[in-house]
Amino acid sequence: MAGKLERSGGRTLGDVRKRFGWAMISPAFIILFIMSIYPFVYVIVVSLHRWTIVPTIPRVFVGFNQYLFMFKDSYFWKSLWVTFTFVLGVVIIEMGLGFAISLLISTSKGRWLRVVFLMPAVVAPVVVGLTWKFLLSYDLGTINYFLTTIGLKRVNWLGKPFTAFISVMIVDIWQWTPFAMLIFLAGLESLPLEPYEAARVDGASTWQILRYVTLPQLTPVIAIVLMFRTLDAFKTFDIIYMITRGGPSNATEVYSYKIYQKAFFHNQLGFAAAMSVIAIILATIMMNIFSRLLSKAQTTTQK
Amino acid sequence: MPGIKVTVRKVSMRIVRIILLIVALAFFVYPIFWLFSTSIKQEVDIFSSPPKLLIFKPIIDNYVHVFKNTDIPHQGINSIIAALSNTALSLFMGTMAAYGISRFKVGGRRLLFWFLSLRMLPPIVVSVPLFIIAAKLRLIDTHYVLPVLYLLLNIPFVVWMMKSFIDEIPEEMEESAHIDGCSYFGAIWRIVLPIITPGLVATGVLCFIFAWNEFLLAMIFTRATAMTLPVGISGFISVEQVFWGYITASASVAAIPPIVLAWIFQRYMVRGLTFGALKS
Repeated sequence: MAGKLERSGGRTLGDVRKRFGWAMISPAFIILFIMSIYPFVYVIVVSLHRWTIVPTIPRVFVGFNQYLFMFKDSYFWKSLWVTFTFVLGVVIIEMGLGFAISLLISTSKGRWLRVVFLMPAVVAPVVVGLTWKFLLSYDLGTINYFLTTIGLKRVNWLGKPFTAFISVMIVDIWQWTPFAMLIFLAGLESLPLEPYEAARVDGASTWQILRYVTLPQLTPVIAIVLMFRTLDAFKTFDIIYMITRGGPSNATEVYSYKIYQKAFFHNQLGFAAAMSVIAIILATIMMNIFSRLLSKAQTTTQK
Repeated sequence: MPGIKVTVRKVSMRIVRIILLIVALAFFVYPIFWLFSTSIKQEVDIFSSPPKLLIFKPIIDNYVHVFKNTDIPHQGINSIIAALSNTALSLFMGTMAAYGISRFKVGGRRLLFWFLSLRMLPPIVVSVPLFIIAAKLRLIDTHYVLPVLYLLLNIPFVVWMMKSFIDEIPEEMEESAHIDGCSYFGAIWRIVLPIITPGLVATGVLCFIFAWNEFLLAMIFTRATAMTLPVGISGFISVEQVFWGYITASASVAAIPPIVLAWIFQRYMVRGLTFGALKS
């Protein structure tokens, strides 16, 4: 009956509220909808054509041949593999290292430590890439200098495929481990103390406390870091552009950089569009998995 | 004597911890330290071997040169224009949407995740189609294009951040204002806005940092007149040349504002980096 009482002139108060809510959302929604739906439709259409950036060259409808062509291209698979190993590698190391450092810091009081660790995460990736390019330089870089002072040989970091791949991973790890660390730290500090006291009274070892008390309670935080880092690492472009430009011999050609190359250098917009469609699908799948993981983790820890 | 054994173990654990922490700090601080210290070195000190880590004569000549003879000041102003105008637009539209989602549950979880997924998509995916539209509208290399493009980045962020701040305000506060005769807008203006102002400022600062640091879209959509700092700096990547002092000074100009802002707003940084999911 409450609904009827609120009725005024055929519209319920709920209707008015809902309408006001939609009005509040509409500017943001409309502008982002236009800015995303047009590109999505466009890349799908272009991916079905042979399409160059020059308007006078005729655009030929090729159906799904572009995709077949792409799936036969070994460089496409190479780039997908590079991206996969890069994302997997950096996310695992950043989370492990970040968690370890957060445990190291969690007992210290100093706030300045946190601010210091904040720096890499807020500096532009372009600046980070530039700095590391100098640091990794074969004969002028200080990293090789430090290696020679402790008796090791200089490493041609950016000149060989494997070391170049490791180098860009190190740079990403340098920039984003502090991000994981700070979030784990915030998570650790929000944990209630009682379970720890109970575990200690029961005679649990440090390791057991970590495994059975800390980690289960941290699941939502772990899920957040996992989601942000995986999707962000999938987007990696700036440091590749600055440090290796995808080389040597495509060893660091991550997915975003490959699309950029295809679209803006090789003038194969159809190919780039087909790759973009795959990227949208992959990112959407990952978003769905992580958002489910996150809501599941949040509901189980709240119980 | 077990007591001594325990304390010995405790002390050695402590030492190990401190050593590990120093190693970690050295790794994460050194590149930034190198960047800033190189930017205030003379050429002889930059290329000296062994490298001069702490003892050298600091100079500001590199900065003077960069500000007098290069495009860096112009690009810096472009960066400020793009970042500030985008921040204002994002805050306005994003906070309105956040209020709608928080209070009226419009669109629910699905709308929220739609916003987030736009932010999570690789920007290169939308850049070709948006480039073609921008070219048709003659917006390439103008001061309008980046503030609009960055809405894709920053509106989703503002929606998530401000929703987390608005969620913290009990709804009864607005309801009592409604009973006192306040309109919806009146209640937002007089009750909600004053409470969320600190959150608004912190969110704005992070929007500014994101826009200030953005590179890929800026590189594709600007050429010269509207070129931002990251694009300008990306032109310096040849290590073989000797102007390391100028290059590091330019990079420092781009690096300092975000670091200073993060320092001032550190209380909100974890919350910002997790889009409001985690409060600190």
